[in-house]
Amino acid sequence: MKCLFLAASAAVLSGAATIAHGQELIVNSYGGPYEQIIQDAIIKPFEEQFGVSVIYDAVGSSQQDYAKIKATNGRPGFDVVVMTASQSLEGCREGLLEPLSAEAVPNLAHLNAAISAVAGECGAVHELQYLALLYRTDMFEEAPTSWTDLYDERLDNRIVLPTFANIMAAFLTQLMSSVHGGDIDNNIDPGFEAMARLAAQSIGFEQASAILESYIRDGRVWAMPFWDGRAQLLVDSGAPVDYVLPKEGSIPLIATLNVPVGADNKELALQFVDFFLEKTSQERWVEGYKVGSARADIEVSEEARARKITTPADLDALLLPDLSSLASNLSAWGMRWEREVVPAAR
Amino acid sequence: MGHALGTRSRPGRSVVTMSSITLATNRGRPFRTSNVLRQYVPLLPPSILLLVFFAIPMGMMVGLSFHPEGASTATLANYERFFTDDFTLAGLGRTVLMSGLVAICVTVMAYPVAYFLARSRSRWRAVVFALAIAPELAGVVLRTYGWLIILEDQGFINSGLMWLGLISEPLPLAKNMFGVVVGLTHVILPFGILSLLTSLQGVDPSLEKSAQILGASRISVLRHIVVPLTVPGIVSSMLLAFTMSASAYATPAILGGADFKVLATMVYEQVLFYIDWSFAAVMANVLLVMMLIIAAIGSRLEMRLHKKLHF
Repeated sequence: MKCLFLAASAAVLSGAATIAHGQELIVNSYGGPYEQIIQDAIIKPFEEQFGVSVIYDAVGSSQQDYAKIKATNGRPGFDVVVMTASQSLEGCREGLLEPLSAEAVPNLAHLNAAISAVAGECGAVHELQYLALLYRTDMFEEAPTSWTDLYDERLDNRIVLPTFANIMAAFLTQLMSSVHGGDIDNNIDPGFEAMARLAAQSIGFEQASAILESYIRDGRVWAMPFWDGRAQLLVDSGAPVDYVLPKEGSIPLIATLNVPVGADNKELALQFVDFFLEKTSQERWVEGYKVGSARADIEVSEEARARKITTPADLDALLLPDLSSLASNLSAWGMRWEREVVPAAR
Repeated sequence: MGHALGTRSRPGRSVVTMSSITLATNRGRPFRTSNVLRQYVPLLPPSILLLVFFAIPMGMMVGLSFHPEGASTATLANYERFFTDDFTLAGLGRTVLMSGLVAICVTVMAYPVAYFLARSRSRWRAVVFALAIAPELAGVVLRTYGWLIILEDQGFINSGLMWLGLISEPLPLAKNMFGVVVGLTHVILPFGILSLLTSLQGVDPSLEKSAQILGASRISVLRHIVVPLTVPGIVSSMLLAFTMSASAYATPAILGGADFKVLATMVYEQVLFYIDWSFAAVMANVLLVMMLIIAAIGSRLEMRLHKKLHF
């Protein structure tokens, strides 16, 4: 009994000592298959290298995480959070996120400058996905090559679209605008007209990526826009699907690591961010989560090289929207989407 | 009681009437204070709780609604935006219609169940009671996805009907008002049953027996005795169902589809996607005021019906 008491006391004291020395880092990111991949590719190597413990918090989407940061004025209870470049810019502007310097995060210097500039000074771009055209291989004789292939009459009632509350919808509208004679930031009218026509031959809209992919997995739809990382996971799961980067190009979903201004363990958080951006970490992440990287000096497999954004040429080919302009237009575009695109669906 | 009867006091003296305050004279003031304290002290913890976690946040939300991003002073701009935009007004109208339909469906469906539970001596009573409450054991999201599996185009009902050859195209059972009303009715029904059960248990069964002995039919007994005496229960069931529906998020979001926007889902989008908390606060305040108006109307209706049916 005495031994048990001593052991328990020792455990409590050692735990207290760990906390006292700030050796526990709370990282907030996504659940599902993502969680296991990040554990294997990033968190466990980080824990081994730094001799610290990482608590993984998979609760909440990036939107909910951002709302939590805003509601707590930068003290959400986690030290590192995975968000998007749009949220990174907004949080930086509101003073909720820590600006990241090259001194604190030396690996920032290795990221593509244009991509880093899009995310602003508070976001460390650790991952890139592009909007791909996902299709059923058993329904297409030849792989589609263009965004305009979605208008093929054989796809009538065989397409599903994201709701506007999924940022994919805004990016798709911008892409369609670019494809149909407009541009991605200012002259967006052709994009809305094109989306209304596309909605007319869709089965409707869904917000969650997990629900969206269920439609193509079970064959209810034959083609849809989707992020290439998740599309690759779907291909790897054995579903009869494949995806392409259409010839007109694509807009990337820029994912960032952020540190809230009130993070308890800021120093370790910055070390984690830097570790995630290291060449070897980025290589593991690209191969594990099947996404692209803003580091052009990584060495990855031929398959990853062929399908993911990993080279300077890939990075240069991306259409990069002005996310500040997008943020200011988002509300008006959302209303326009509800009025012009949603009613066009059957 | 003491307060209801009260005292009529003049400067310098008190008139003694029948209440606990009758002992209170000028000299008895400390006694009255302690009596009041004793009466109100138990209310302190919930009052503090409500003040800290409801009143203050509500006040902050009201304040936020007058301060859109970028505005240096208070402005009604967001309220103007809400009441001049046909999209948001349609959301408000849809919320009222959805909540009203659910309130009616819940009350109509709950009444027979509550009546059975209040009057039956059957051994099945416990089973029916358990079944009536059982839906609350599962989470609302789980139950709503269950309804989606049943109602969607490739769901249980449509697949079954198409397999039987009764229909060639799926019936529009989900992703519309019908689906949401079905889902919400299921979610809120137990609350309606409990609300009506309390009211029905307060009606003396001997009144019904007396009426039947005097020759009234079962329908007449229900119409002239049971229903009038349970008007408060009916109104509270409808109000409860209405307010719960109006503030429900998960069921409209899952069963409603992309173009089924109600205030609760619109608030969610404004907070999380558009990050426009000021406009979200406006929507939340409109929702709150709408529910207060409905509650006030319900309360007045209850009083009028009560008077009309009793006297």
